[in-house]
Amino acid sequence: MSTEKNNAPVVIDVRNVKKKFRIYKDRGNTLKERLLFAARRKHEDHQVLKGISFQVRKGEAVGLIGENGCGKSTTLKLLTKILYPDAGTIRMTGRVSSLIELGAGFHPDLSGLENIYTNASIFGLSRKEIDERLEEIIAFSELEEFIDNPVRTYSSGMYMRLAFAVAINVDADILLIDEILAVGDAAFQAKCFRKLQEIKGKGTTIVIVSHAMSQIENICDRSIWIEDGVIRLEGLPRDVHPVYMEQMSKKNLHGQDEQKDKLVVEKDEEGKLKRWGSGEAKMTDVSVIDAEGKKRYEYSPWEPFTVHIDYEAQKELKDVVIGLAIYRNDGTMVYGTNTLIDTAKPVDLKEKGSIDLKVENLPVSNGTYVVDLALHKPDGFNYDFWRNICRLEIAGKVQTPGEIALSHSWSIR
Amino acid sequence: MLKTLKEIWEYRTMIQSLVHKDLRGRYQASVLGFLWTFIVPLCQLLVYTVVFSIILRSTVEKFYLYLFVALIPWNFFASCLTGGSSCIIQQQSLVNKIYFPREVIPVAYVTSSFVNMLYCEIVVFAVALFSGVQFNLLGLLCLPLVMAVEYILALGITMIMCSVDVYFRDLEHILGIISMAWMFMTPIMYDLSIVPERLLPIFKLNPMTGIVTAYRDILYAGSIPEMGNLAISFGMGLFFLILGFLVFGKLKRRFSEVM
Repeated sequence: MSTEKNNAPVVIDVRNVKKKFRIYKDRGNTLKERLLFAARRKHEDHQVLKGISFQVRKGEAVGLIGENGCGKSTTLKLLTKILYPDAGTIRMTGRVSSLIELGAGFHPDLSGLENIYTNASIFGLSRKEIDERLEEIIAFSELEEFIDNPVRTYSSGMYMRLAFAVAINVDADILLIDEILAVGDAAFQAKCFRKLQEIKGKGTTIVIVSHAMSQIENICDRSIWIEDGVIRLEGLPRDVHPVYMEQMSKKNLHGQDEQKDKLVVEKDEEGKLKRWGSGEAKMTDVSVIDAEGKKRYEYSPWEPFTVHIDYEAQKELKDVVIGLAIYRNDGTMVYGTNTLIDTAKPVDLKEKGSIDLKVENLPVSNGTYVVDLALHKPDGFNYDFWRNICRLEIAGKVQTPGEIALSHSWSIR
Repeated sequence: MLKTLKEIWEYRTMIQSLVHKDLRGRYQASVLGFLWTFIVPLCQLLVYTVVFSIILRSTVEKFYLYLFVALIPWNFFASCLTGGSSCIIQQQSLVNKIYFPREVIPVAYVTSSFVNMLYCEIVVFAVALFSGVQFNLLGLLCLPLVMAVEYILALGITMIMCSVDVYFRDLEHILGIISMAWMFMTPIMYDLSIVPERLLPIFKLNPMTGIVTAYRDILYAGSIPEMGNLAISFGMGLFFLILGFLVFGKLKRRFSEVM
């Protein structure tokens, strides 16, 4: 997190918030039911949030992660004021917009244009404000030709595009998002994502609930992991997510004690997890080799190198994914890929073998970069996840501003 | 409370668009569409005329008009009392999914019914003119005031009922009965002068008495409305409105948990 954000004013202040729901087995809604079946109206109190406190500063993007039912969506609903806390306080500064329910209040018989007005007005925009944004909304939705047709004639993809276009153009100070980036086709998703990054760049505060860790890593400065109604861990997504994934892997293994014992867990000097996994497959040696076949860890941005991994497995393993991620030393992800992304099918591992990943170049600005490697199942279950497995120094001839290095040439006439 | 009022004002476009959606959506699929707004009261009038001038002959002169001028405002109030009570539940998908000041929903409902009444009043006007009523100019100027009093009362009652209804759904059915009884306890089909003396205090306490009588003074008798009863109605309307805001404000916090 940059120092600028550390000094920014707090715009979301959540203090010791508690929330419980009454769960009725058979709730009577009418007088008759209430009188006749009073005994049946037993309820259980379910304490969803057991005291949560956190603050978000202006311009920050925060991801809420956790298992289903942990309370993250409840937290988001409390922030939107759909629910009110039983105890504790929530203070929000500025206009809040939520991408929780897209297309709220759409009327199927009215045209796309009329629905833009209805839907935007629910976000609290005045007619004038909607007029100002109309062009932008229609352009973003890519529905110019269909905007005068009734919404019932839209495909579900078109419907969501229109809805998202309205919600994203509200220009809120605080944007709350619940699992929404599953909108439309891949191209439109990418567009939504770029828009979110643009909005964040303008200083909008964002809170996202998502199961997609990569989305959060791409956009958020901070992750808050909620477990059983309390905050379990909070910090850089890169620090929080491995611990969370680790816990999830353990839960998947629940009941298989034999395997549990074999879990590899190593921590670094700061106590952060460095390596974890079930150990069914393990990386035994990792090195980075230059074109001449010599081990080397300092390269210019244009030199090729190979990441060489020796591995051992307890038995032959099918459907394995081998992944690599490169981070700048401040935690910014520079690049990530895996065999599933590259080849669209998992690979098989022998009992003993080696893996070479040849990289043509790492065209980034000078600095220190760290590498993560992982052997895992397609669903994310880790055999061996190794953080900061090695360091790469990228040292070009000159220090240039910016994050990447471009292969370029001048031609002046 | 002041904060809530300010917020409702900020969401005025939402109120407008809800009202617009309701009025447009009401007759959307029908052939005659918006014309129904006028056809329904005209047909009502036709039935009353037939019944009360041919079959059940009344001693009151132009009884059809006498009844009609009072019935249209009553219909507005009754629709708020019965239909308005379920307005939050009708919009539960919105309430459960998105934030906006919840007060917007009853305000939009009452406003939409109110606008519908205004359209009907055009018919009332036309019929009154046609029947040869000599309007009093000052009386006519009082009409918006009378309507405002009724709006305030209707909004107050709707806010109480719709928020309670979320927790207690029998209310809708109970209100159906109450609405019928209330109609007969209000001088709509008869004159206040035929009410037995000992029952008069009850009628005076009924806020609709002053309102209905005022409409009748202006549009039927062509006179200036009697202000005493109207003042009582205004006082009670204000009382219900404030009570409505307080009750609603208290109950709205758990709306989306209960629905």
